[in-house]
Amino acid sequence: MASPQRISTGAKPWIEQSEEPFIRISNLTKKFGEFTAVDNISLDIYREELFCLLGGSGCGKSTLLRMLAGFETPTSGRIEIDGQDMAAVPAYARPTNMMFQSYALFPHMSVEKNVAYGLMRDGVARSEANDRVVEMLKLVQLDGFGKRKPDQLSGGQRQRVALARSLIKRPKLLLLDEPLGALDKKLREETQFELINIQETLGVTFIVVTHDQEEAMTLSSRIGVMDQGEIVQVGEPHEIYEFPQSRFVADFIGSVNMFEGRVTDDAENYVRIHSKEGDCDIHVSHGVSCSENQKMWLAVRPEKINISRNKPEGKYNIVKGTVDEIAYLGNLSIYRVKLESGKIVRVTKSNRFRRDEETISWDETVYLNWDDTAGVVLAQ
Amino acid sequence: MTSLSVQSIFQRLSRYGRTLVIAVPLWWLIVFFLIPFGVVAKISFAEAVIARPPYSPLLEWMEDGGVAIKLFFENYVRLIEESLYIKAYWSSIKVAFVSTLISLLVAYPMAYYIARTNERRRNVLLMLIILPFWTSFLLRVYAWIGILKTNGVVNHILMSLGITSEPLVMMQTNFAVYVGIVYTYLPFMVLPLFTNLVKLDNSLLEASADLGANPVTTFFRVTLPLSVPGIIAGSMLVFIPVVGEFVIPALLGGPDTLMIGKVLWNEFFYNRDWPAASAVAIVMLILLVVPIMLLRNAQSASSEASS
Repeated sequence: MASPQRISTGAKPWIEQSEEPFIRISNLTKKFGEFTAVDNISLDIYREELFCLLGGSGCGKSTLLRMLAGFETPTSGRIEIDGQDMAAVPAYARPTNMMFQSYALFPHMSVEKNVAYGLMRDGVARSEANDRVVEMLKLVQLDGFGKRKPDQLSGGQRQRVALARSLIKRPKLLLLDEPLGALDKKLREETQFELINIQETLGVTFIVVTHDQEEAMTLSSRIGVMDQGEIVQVGEPHEIYEFPQSRFVADFIGSVNMFEGRVTDDAENYVRIHSKEGDCDIHVSHGVSCSENQKMWLAVRPEKINISRNKPEGKYNIVKGTVDEIAYLGNLSIYRVKLESGKIVRVTKSNRFRRDEETISWDETVYLNWDDTAGVVLAQ
Repeated sequence: MTSLSVQSIFQRLSRYGRTLVIAVPLWWLIVFFLIPFGVVAKISFAEAVIARPPYSPLLEWMEDGGVAIKLFFENYVRLIEESLYIKAYWSSIKVAFVSTLISLLVAYPMAYYIARTNERRRNVLLMLIILPFWTSFLLRVYAWIGILKTNGVVNHILMSLGITSEPLVMMQTNFAVYVGIVYTYLPFMVLPLFTNLVKLDNSLLEASADLGANPVTTFFRVTLPLSVPGIIAGSMLVFIPVVGEFVIPALLGGPDTLMIGKVLWNEFFYNRDWPAASAVAIVMLILLVVPIMLLRNAQSASSEASS
């Protein structure tokens, strides 16, 4: 097998706009009675992407997925897959397959029969179907399990059967609903990389629904963050993490410290914000479109804040506090530092040495500082 | 020491408690099933005599003080030799089989709809299924006479619509018997099917559709196979009592309706031949128990294999 090309290191069709989008969702809305589950979403997804829809429970991500599969009818809007309008196409005739959160394996059929089900419905000859089932079970590392019933398998094995069953028809689009939700952490991490490998090997477009931001970061070429039926930001994982466009996104992905303040100095290539909460002046080394005295938030990730006993040099981006709590996680330690205003700031520090005589301890007075490029200024 | 003895008292109590709980149904079965069954079995091996009770005793005291056991197998021999009995058994099983099949075909769509509809409508419909039990079974069968008789409701409607010019003869036919049986036993088919179908995971149906199966294929490949336990339970609940059914064929059936329940009744009340009637009952029980046991074994074997 030729070594597959990772698409995120190669072409980025969503930037270059060199191709037609493979899936085109325009102005899609779904209402259940008075409740709007999906609110006027427009989204383009390109061929061979691994796109993650990320959001909390009830944000509409599963409803969006179910509309793509054909299990829910949109209230308004349009879904096109590979140039074809899906409005009149019933679920059983769509070029999509779905991997269900509950796996939805047929309990009365063996693993083989489950995997072959889609091929049988398409009238594929039995001998060819058998070959493809064997091949597929090998791909998901389940060779030899074909004769078992689903209830004779472990959770991880069932998940593989569900994946095999949804991939066997070589769908144009594979929809995965919380695919790894039921697995324990270790198995989940392994399976994430397997999923990526399989996706690259088969060249199928994946849309994954998940509430697990780590999963979304690991898997996806792009992430769409959803909140209350809307997509609030679409971008590559590092964009979502480092350049969130709103407080919601910054807060939802990873952990973040938010300093509220007012703009005191708005220049072309820098901004100063005074934060009462932090009792400090914040200097940001790039221009921000804002006006004087406007309310702004600075979002700083915990790993981008430095913690020290001695007051660092400089006038800006320095706050003082006492260590309230320390959590030792092995690879890093999390410090919860209480400022004089009562605000708690999270700081992480990687434990680079096995023994550190200088370790900061509880109730010590410490100074926190960060680079003038470390934070993101958010207006909303 | 005291705490230990208190503990042992509790242990003993819980052991007795367990026995006590099982003892109630056990005694119920012994008193109301096993003993009467023994009596019937005993009578089936007696000889009919004109006396009171109308059968010969099993044990007889001899003059020399010994005890003689007298067993007559004649009653069973007669069941095989006289074609009437075999015909009656056969026809009962046939009627039971056909009624079970019709009930299944009628009940399945009903149960399916009730299971898939919204909760409010479901409760109303379930209520309607159970509602007939609130009136006497006998009354409901009599009502069918009014509906099916020559100048009854059905004929009245058919003739006033001009579909038939003469009244149809429906009463005292096998048709009326089937109508009565299917009507009476339908809830026993609907309820087990409903309890099975309501548990059916919707995502399985979605998965089937997702993999390219149209609704008809999904039904035959997923819904139907998964509802087999419900079908078996419902069929048992209909088939077993219908084999021995007496009231419905007696009230709605005609002279050519031959069912074993009616034969048994005749033996008992017309001929006053208690031993023959008992033998008929015993054979019927065996005829029903053997297939049930086989089915149960097959079911437990399949559930063992899958777990």
